[in-house]
Amino acid sequence: MNIDELTSALTERVAQSDNPAEVLRAPEFRELYAQIPQQEPEERASFGQRVNAMKQAVEAAVEARKAELSSVDVCPLDITAPMDVNASAPKFLSAEQGTIHPLMAEMQTLSEIFGRMGFVTEDSREIDDQYHMFETLNFPKGHPARDDYDTFMTVETDADGDPLIAPAHTSTMQNRILKKYRENLERGEAIAAVVPDRVFRNEDLDARHEHTFYQFEGIYVAKGVHAGMLIATLQKFLEEYYGKKLDVRVNPFYFPFTEPSFEFSLSCPFCEGTDKDCKVCGGEGWIELLGCGMIHPNVLKAADIDPNIYTGFAWGGGIDRLVMMKYGIEDVRHFQSAKLDFLEQF
Amino acid sequence: MKVSLNTIKQFIDFELPPVDELVKRINEQLGGVEEVVDLSEKYKDAKIVRVVECEKHPDADRLSVCKVDVGSGELVQVVCGAPNVHADMWAIWLPPESTVPSSYGTNEPFVLGARELRGVMSNGMLAAGDELGINGDHDGIIEITEKDLLLGIKLKAGASFAETFGLDDTTIDIENKMFTHRPDLFGQLGVAREIAGIFGHQFTSPEWYRKVEYGIENAENSDMLPLEVFNDASEKAPRFMAVAIKDVTVGPSPLWLQCELVRLGGKSINNIVDITNYVMLLTSQPTHAYDYDKLRGHKLGVRMAHDGEKATLLNDKTYELTSDDIVIVDAEGPVGLAGIMGGSNSEVSPETKNIVLEVANFDMYAVRKSSMRHGLFTDALTRFNKGQSPLQNPIVMSQLQNFITGIAGGEQASEVFDKKAFDDEKDEDVLGAKWLPGTISADFINQRLGLSLNDSEIAQLLENVEFHAHEMGEMNEICFTAPFWRTDIEQPEDIVEEVGRLYGFDKLPLELPQRSVTPAPQNTSRILKRQIRDNLKHAGANEVLTYSFVHENVLKKAGQDPTHAYRLGNALSPDLQYYRLSLLPSLLDKVHMNIKAGHDMFALYEIGKTHFKGEMDAVEPNVPNEDTHVALVVTANEKAAQPGAAFYLAKKYLHGLIGFATIELKKMTEFDMASDVWGAQLSAPYEPKRSAVLVHDGKIWGVVGEFRTGVRQGFKLPAYSAGFEVHLDLLAQNFAQYTPLSRFPSNSQDISLRSNNKVSYRDIYGVTIAALEEAGADLQTKVEPISIYQSSTDSSTKTTTFRITFTHYDKTLTDDDIKPLMDHVAGVALSRLSAERT
Repeated sequence: MNIDELTSALTERVAQSDNPAEVLRAPEFRELYAQIPQQEPEERASFGQRVNAMKQAVEAAVEARKAELSSVDVCPLDITAPMDVNASAPKFLSAEQGTIHPLMAEMQTLSEIFGRMGFVTEDSREIDDQYHMFETLNFPKGHPARDDYDTFMTVETDADGDPLIAPAHTSTMQNRILKKYRENLERGEAIAAVVPDRVFRNEDLDARHEHTFYQFEGIYVAKGVHAGMLIATLQKFLEEYYGKKLDVRVNPFYFPFTEPSFEFSLSCPFCEGTDKDCKVCGGEGWIELLGCGMIHPNVLKAADIDPNIYTGFAWGGGIDRLVMMKYGIEDVRHFQSAKLDFLEQF
Repeated sequence: MKVSLNTIKQFIDFELPPVDELVKRINEQLGGVEEVVDLSEKYKDAKIVRVVECEKHPDADRLSVCKVDVGSGELVQVVCGAPNVHADMWAIWLPPESTVPSSYGTNEPFVLGARELRGVMSNGMLAAGDELGINGDHDGIIEITEKDLLLGIKLKAGASFAETFGLDDTTIDIENKMFTHRPDLFGQLGVAREIAGIFGHQFTSPEWYRKVEYGIENAENSDMLPLEVFNDASEKAPRFMAVAIKDVTVGPSPLWLQCELVRLGGKSINNIVDITNYVMLLTSQPTHAYDYDKLRGHKLGVRMAHDGEKATLLNDKTYELTSDDIVIVDAEGPVGLAGIMGGSNSEVSPETKNIVLEVANFDMYAVRKSSMRHGLFTDALTRFNKGQSPLQNPIVMSQLQNFITGIAGGEQASEVFDKKAFDDEKDEDVLGAKWLPGTISADFINQRLGLSLNDSEIAQLLENVEFHAHEMGEMNEICFTAPFWRTDIEQPEDIVEEVGRLYGFDKLPLELPQRSVTPAPQNTSRILKRQIRDNLKHAGANEVLTYSFVHENVLKKAGQDPTHAYRLGNALSPDLQYYRLSLLPSLLDKVHMNIKAGHDMFALYEIGKTHFKGEMDAVEPNVPNEDTHVALVVTANEKAAQPGAAFYLAKKYLHGLIGFATIELKKMTEFDMASDVWGAQLSAPYEPKRSAVLVHDGKIWGVVGEFRTGVRQGFKLPAYSAGFEVHLDLLAQNFAQYTPLSRFPSNSQDISLRSNNKVSYRDIYGVTIAALEEAGADLQTKVEPISIYQSSTDSSTKTTTFRITFTHYDKTLTDDDIKPLMDHVAGVALSRLSAERT
C-alpha cells in the first residue's frame, strides 16, 4: 500500500470512528516511521516529508471528525417505549452475576443482630459541622485531642466560620441520637442505637489504611448502666456474630467523649489462641477491635440528659476490619476499587 | 512516652515484677505499650577498665599501645587512636567479639575482633562517646573521673559499664495518645506514681518534689547580676519564673547524666542544656536556660507578639509571628517562642558564663495554636499542650537550680522572680480546678462500675497515687482533694475512672442491661436500600462502593460544574478534591478498567450520598443537605451488547425499582434545565436526545439515558452504555398489585398499528388502553408490547404490535366476543392517531 492509499484508508477510518484520536496511534504509522531509515539516502528526506504530510492530513481529519461528532445529529429515541425499534425487549443480566457489596452485607448483619438486641439502626452523615464532630463530644475548641483525628475539611465554612468536615467517626451522630430518643428515658426505656456508616480520615492509602471506611457506633443510655454492661453487651454481640463463646477484655484508653474509656479486645475467634502464625491475631490470641467507654457526662449534658440520673455507654469499631478478618481479605483498598474480579467473589 | 525502668526504680520502694508482667499490667491499667527495649543487651559487653600503661605505637604516630586492667588479673593489650588516652585513666572497653553499641540493632552491626594494627595486636577497643551511642563525641575516648559518678558509686576494673551507669535497663514506650489528658504522665515521676498505684503500693514523691528550697529568696547586694523580669501576658502565661546564675562552667555533662538521658531517649548536648532537659523528662515541666549576657538590657519577660514580629529559633529558622503567639523577649525583641522553642540569639554556648533559668506556665490552647500555625512540634510543646499545672513551677525551679549549681557550678545571682497571674494557690479560675476539693460517694462510683467497693478501699486506691482522700464516716462518702498535677480531674466521673483503673477493669462484673420488650423501631431507609440491593442483585447488577470525593477531572469529564461542589481544603491525595455532585460520574470512572479486565457486559450500581453547595438541611440549617441516590450504569463491549439501544435496558433496571405511574418521565429535551440548577448537574452527563428525566413537583428527581459523546470518550465507555440515577426518596416500597383470578380461560389476540414514526409509544399504548376501557364492561384486559417494527425502506412510519389478553369472570370468551373489541381499538387508533391496523 503506498502512502497515498494509506492516507485515504486512514482518513476514511477516522471518518467512521467514534474516537478518531485513536487512529493516530494506528500501527501503520509506526511501520511507516520504521521504514524511513531503510530508504535509500537520497530518497530518505522526501519519504520522511510524505509521511509527515500524511500524518498532518490524518490529524486534520481527526479534528474535523471530532467537530462532526460533537455536532453530529444524534438519533433521538422514543423514551416512552419499552424497547427499541426492530429490537427485542431488553433483558436483565443473569441473576447469578449479581452481587451485594460485602461491606453492605456485613452492615446488614450487624444491624440485624443489634436489632434483635433492641438497638435501632441510625444513619450518619458525610459532611458535618464541628459542633457535632467535636464540641458536643467534649472536645473544646483548640483541644489537642482534635489532633488525633486527621479530618478532611472543606474550604466552605459554617455559620460559626469553621470549615465543614467529613466526619472522622460515627460519633458525630451521638448528640443527635441522644436528643432524638431522649423521651425513651422519660418512659423508663433505654436509648439504644447503632450507627453503621461511612467515615473519613485524611490518611495516605496502603493495604491497611483507607481514607474512606466504615464504622459502627453504639449508644446505650438508661438508669443504672455501668461499665460491666458495656463489656457484656459487646461480648454478647460478638458471640452472636461469630457464633461461638469468646473471651473479651478492656484496657484503659483516652477519648474525650467517654470516661472511663477503653480499648476493647476479643480472643481470636479464628485460631482461638492456638496458632502462633495466625494471620488475623498475629499469634497474640487477642484482637484489638474497638474503642468504647462510659459516655462522658458533658456529652449527656449537651443533649439535655442529666448525668446524675442516667448513665450510658458508647463504642465505635471498624466494619472493614471485621470483613477483612472474616474472608481473609489482604488489602483494604479492594473495597472501594469497584473491581468486578473482587466483587464477584461475594 | 519513653519510660526507663531504672529511673522508675529510683522513685519507688517496692520490687517491680518481671518485665512481661509489668508490661501486661501497664497495658491493662495505664496505657498501651508500643515498644519494649532491653538496653542491657546493647551494652552487655562494655566494661569499665583502667589504663595501666600507655606508650606510643612503634610504627604509627597517632596510635598508642595500652595495657589495660580489665579485672581478669592479666593486663590486656589494646591499641588506641584517641589523642586523650593516657596511663592511669578509667575508660570503657569493648572486648573482642562484642558489638559496637552504636551499631547494635542496625542493619550492619559492627562486631569487634582481636587484630593487629600496624603490627601490634589490639584486643577490642577503648570506646568514644559516639561509639557507645551516648553522645556525638568522636574526638577522644571517654575518660571517667570522679565527677562522672553518682554519689556512692565506685569504679572497679572489669565492672560492667551498663551496671555502673544504669544502662542495664529496660525502656518502655507507652502510646502518647493515652496521656492526652494527663500532663503529669509526660514525666518519669508521674509514671512511677501510677505504676505504684496499679500495684497497690503507696507512692511518695521524693523529698525535693515536696519541699521548695530556692537558696536565697531575696537578695540585693553587689554580687548580684542586674535582671528585670516581667509578665505582660498573664492571661496566656499564668506563671513566669526566672533566676540568674553566674559563673557557670559550660561543658560536657557528667557521664551519669549522659547515661540517664540515653535511657530516657534524649541526647547529650552540654551540661546546662542537658539539665534543663533532664528536669523536664523527670517532672514533665519544660524549662529553658538563656545566656544572660546575650539578653539585651538584662531583661527577660513574656508578652504577646506583635503581628509581623520575627523570631529566629534554635532550629535556625525565622518565624513571622502574630499577635496570638506568646513570645519570650528581652529589652529589644523575641528570644524564644513561648512553650515551643528558645531563640538562637540567646542560646547557651561553650563561652557562656552567666545564665538565666526560666520555668513558666503557658495556656495549652495558645501554644497548641502557635505550634500548628508555625508547623513546629517539640518535646516542650507535647507537654505544655496537655495543660501543666502552674503549681509545679516553684518545685521544678528549685530542683533545676540545685542541679545546675551542683553540676555546672556557679551561684544564684538574682532573686527568684515569680510573675504569676494569681495570688491564691487555690484560685480556681487560674488552676482549672473546677471541682476541688470534693466529696464523692462510694455509691456513685460503684453504680458506674458495677462494683461494690467500700469507702476505705476507694480512699486507699486514691491515696496510693497521692490524692488526699479519707472516709467521711457516713453515707459511704469519701472526701478527697486531687493533687495539683492532676489538672484532668474535673468531675466525679474522672474519679470513677481513676478508681476503676487502679482497682482493675478486668474485675468489672459482666452483666447485660435489662431491656423492655418494646420493639426497636425500624429504619425505613435501610429497609428500602436492602430491597434495592435484593432487586438489583436478582437483575444481575453488582453493587460497588466508590469514594465520596472526586477529582475535578471526573466532574469535568461528566460535564458537571465544580463550583457547585463542596471543595476539600486539606486532602493529602490530589484525587480527593470535591464532594461529588452525583454518583454516576464515579461509576463511569470504573467502567473502562473492568472492560479491560475482561468483563464483557455488566451493570454497576451504588447507593450513596450527594451534596450540592448552598443547599442546607431542612431541619439543621447549619449543615448541608444530604441526598441519598441510587445510580447504575450498564455497559457492554461490542460482542456482548444486546440488540437495540442501551437506553431501554437502563430504563428496565430503573423500572424494576420504581413504578412510573406517579412520576412523569419526560424527554430531557423538553425540560427547561435553566429552571433547575441541581437537576441540570445531575443530567449533565446524559445525551438529551436519548435520555429522560423523572420530574416531580416541577423538579428533576432522577434521570435515565445514554451519555453524551464527549462523556463516552472521556470515560472510554463502550458504545453500548446507559445508566440512571434517582433520588431515593422517590422510591417507595413497591407492593404487588393483585388482580383476582377468573375461573374461565383467557383469550389473547395481537393487534398491529402502523403510525407515523413521530407518534410516541406512550400515546399508542394510552389510546389502546382507553379504547378497551370504553368498550369492555365486565372484562379484565392486559396489554403487552410485542414489537416495534420499522421497515428498512420507510423510516417515516412504524408498526407497534400489542398482545391483548381478555378475561371474563363469568364466561369463556369466544372470538366473536373479542372481535368488536379489537375493531373498536383499531377504530379509535385510526381516528385519534391516524394509526392503521395492519
